[in-house]
Amino acid sequence: MKAVEDAFRAAGVTGWLHAEDVDTGRRVGVRADEPVVLASVFKVPLLVAFFRRAAAGLLDPAERVTLRPGDRAEGPTGTSILLDDVTLSLRDLAALMITVSDNAAADVLYDRVGGADAVNADLAALGLTATRITGNGRELFAGMLADAGAADFGELWARLDEPGLPERIRALNPVLTSRSTPREMAALLGLVWRDEAAPPAACAQMRRMFGLQVWPHRLSAGFPFDDVRVGGKTGTLPTIRNEIGVVEYPDGGRYAVAVFTRAARPVAALPQADAVIGAAARLAVEALRRPRRT
Amino acid sequence: MVLGCIPDLISSLAVNLVGHLRCFVAVAEELHFGRAAERLGMAQPPLSQRIRRLESELGVTLFDRSSRRVVPTPAGRLLLDDARELLALADRVHTLGDRVRQSADGALRAGIPAGLGGGVVAALIAAFRARRPAVRLDLRETPTAQQAAALADGTLDAGVLRHPCDTRGLALGPMLGQRIGALLPAADAPAEPRLGDLAGRDLVLFPRDEAPGSHDEWLAACRRDGYDPPAVHTARRAEFALGLVLSGTAVALVPEPAAVPPGTAWRALAGDPIVWRTSCAWRADGADPAVADFAAVATAVLRAEAGMTPLGAGPLRRVEFRPSSGFLA
Repeated sequence: MKAVEDAFRAAGVTGWLHAEDVDTGRRVGVRADEPVVLASVFKVPLLVAFFRRAAAGLLDPAERVTLRPGDRAEGPTGTSILLDDVTLSLRDLAALMITVSDNAAADVLYDRVGGADAVNADLAALGLTATRITGNGRELFAGMLADAGAADFGELWARLDEPGLPERIRALNPVLTSRSTPREMAALLGLVWRDEAAPPAACAQMRRMFGLQVWPHRLSAGFPFDDVRVGGKTGTLPTIRNEIGVVEYPDGGRYAVAVFTRAARPVAALPQADAVIGAAARLAVEALRRPRRT
Repeated sequence: MVLGCIPDLISSLAVNLVGHLRCFVAVAEELHFGRAAERLGMAQPPLSQRIRRLESELGVTLFDRSSRRVVPTPAGRLLLDDARELLALADRVHTLGDRVRQSADGALRAGIPAGLGGGVVAALIAAFRARRPAVRLDLRETPTAQQAAALADGTLDAGVLRHPCDTRGLALGPMLGQRIGALLPAADAPAEPRLGDLAGRDLVLFPRDEAPGSHDEWLAACRRDGYDPPAVHTARRAEFALGLVLSGTAVALVPEPAAVPPGTAWRALAGDPIVWRTSCAWRADGADPAVADFAAVATAVLRAEAGMTPLGAGPLRRVEFRPSSGFLA
């Protein structure tokens, strides 16, 4: 995967990648078993835990809940940015959590499924032992500001080039925050796409949500082909840009890809670092689609 | 917060108690966080953090920070004598370490960036020899990204990094800044050009793999201010850059040269849009006083010989909000 390494370097990031054929298990990777910061990708195991509990009758996905402005977690999208009360079903909150990375919606579902312990128990049941969720969005947010000594997220971004500041933020350290490996995140998507993460109807609902994600700049950007379907979930924190997803070709080939990056430059607008996620994923998928050398 | 990491935090402080006490003594003697940080060859925020950590570990407040000055509390004054004694003992142990290191030819291995200039390198070696005559200094010209990796895997003991770069697991010395200007043909060198005034000329830059973060940052600054170079030439050798500049088709972005080559002129850019940041670095979990001495010496030499100046807090960077880079997007 030298081409992938070169692409990461040219984009000014350190990258971790794992791609595998959902049906044959054939795989390629770059540092695929090293721990990585999940950031919002933690919403994927949370989604799986939610649908497993719904399928088991432990919660009603159609139950309507009201979120009041003061109670909603901070975030740049979804119900986090709204001004008034919002009433939505749990499964529609799940849709917002995946399609626009709604933090307020995610924290409601986090509480409903039983928090980190419940999500971690499901991960263990699925055989994903290197993946661990350590908290919800609100806790992550408060922890980052406290570690940085910043009043708000804007100040944190503005001060990110301060020497030593990124090292102090636990949310950017895979040992101290919600974490996984590229291999395990691709494996989790493989389970969803093969109807093994939950009953088939639940997996179908999850796949629909990943396919409705709005962001065009990362994984999707690597596959500018009208007949190729891309579904995924991004993860973003200062210097960290991730996306995991599944790429489906019209010939039936489907590939689970997990790409995690960390940029050397502490700037918020870095389109080449977003785009390299798609470019690296395409290089990996093309390698998987080439006939095996005999 | 993972409960499992708390013992790690405690044990890392225990291992580095000497380092924390050294910080405490420096602040207690200087009565000023900034001066203490400079003396220690480290940046101020991690120094303040170490003092806070020491305070929370000991369960007492060591300094009264309420007034304009930093004053030791009674508990701080009580600790000072013991701390000095402990440090003296630690230094004796480390001197022994230096002798052993010397006999095993375990020189201090330090990376420096390319292009610092012979005078700077010579001054650095001389100053380190004066500070630590018993330790041989093994200097290696190493690009920034490789230095960071080598520091992490232990093949380098200390380094001098160009920023921005990935500094996970590293401790940094004070951040130094170097003004970047335009090297132009003398016949066509407007005073204090804006970056936009350079439009149409090719650009000569240091090789990107030398310091990709700086390279990308400078190019972004050029484009931000209306200068999108038609071609970017990589200059591994100064002679090549000089040829391109003298031909009249290109401009080189460089720090002010010690001697401006004949036929060219170096011009500061209006508003100083590009400042090259450089700092010493070493492993955050290391506590080798020879490394600390290298950092202090290198920082002083870069200030005196390479025209670098300490960067203060400065105005905050302006970062306009965009949802796609927002919290947990």
